[in-house]
Amino acid sequence: MSSPGSSAPPVRYHVADLAVARIAARRARAVPSVVGLRADLSQTLLGLAGTWLNPDPVPPDLRAEGVTVAVHGDRADVRVTVVTELGPNCRELALTVQGEVARAVREATGLDATVQVTIADIELP
Amino acid sequence: MALNPTGPASARTPDPGGAPVQMLACGRDAALVWDHAEAGVLDEHERTCPHCRSTVSDRDSLGGLVGRMAAQPLRPPPNVLEQVMGAVVADLRPHDLLVLAPGASLSRPAAAAALRHIVDSMDGLRARSCRIEQERPAPDPAPDGTDATIALPLRVTVTVAARFGVDLASVTARVRQMMISAGERALGVPVARVDIHVVDVWDEREDR
Repeated sequence: MSSPGSSAPPVRYHVADLAVARIAARRARAVPSVVGLRADLSQTLLGLAGTWLNPDPVPPDLRAEGVTVAVHGDRADVRVTVVTELGPNCRELALTVQGEVARAVREATGLDATVQVTIADIELP
Repeated sequence: MALNPTGPASARTPDPGGAPVQMLACGRDAALVWDHAEAGVLDEHERTCPHCRSTVSDRDSLGGLVGRMAAQPLRPPPNVLEQVMGAVVADLRPHDLLVLAPGASLSRPAAAAALRHIVDSMDGLRARSCRIEQERPAPDPAPDGTDATIALPLRVTVTVAARFGVDLASVTARVRQMMISAGERALGVPVARVDIHVVDVWDEREDR
């Protein structure tokens, strides 16, 4: 019997774009002053269709609308579009989301994430 | 409206589709009981038999449910239109962004709306329009050693209407200070220049 190290089969590890998007979206939503994420047109229409047609819809915590991800090897390009409210400093908020999402993705997947944040709207009182 | 041809239950055999009619335990045709209930001509057996009474009860509950649903106006979920329009607008103007920092940007229309709102909150003023431009980055990033992570300054042009009697000279000073302060505090971007055009005056009495 050979040692466990030499007999271990090779493992290929890949994380899907959607999995990373769910992690990023969940973390971005948890940043204070982020009111929500803003989906693009295709995500909005697909989300609405899924809400009406899918008998087992995705729980709100795991929805990834507003985040697009492309995983390349051990890197992930993440784009997050958020909505905030009037008051907090938008630049500081965007940098916070950038850092928090990158860290969450790295901790959960081991991928180095490049995060682009766009504040799409500021909700007014 | 009759669901099935009327007549004695014993005369009713397979339905037009060919499947045998499933009778109630008491031997009555459920469809016929429904018809009688709808027409208000239930006989003594149908009024007292538990199977027939359950059938009548089924019909009543379904009728109530269908009636309630039919009476409801068809409405999409409350935020569907908002979601779609927000996404359409965002897709139409994907590049209309202010740069906050490398990899961080802010919708220019959203920033303008926020500044307009701030002007609207000032006593005696109403914002008409707000245009924001941002200085272009140098072709060679930070050749002079400046911090590339600092947002480039904004130029804000705002048009306002002022209440009749408001000192217009002080209005410009107030708006200018508000724009500079809001740009730095709320947007996180320095404001290098503010152009204010007072385009109209209004009389509060006209609003009454």
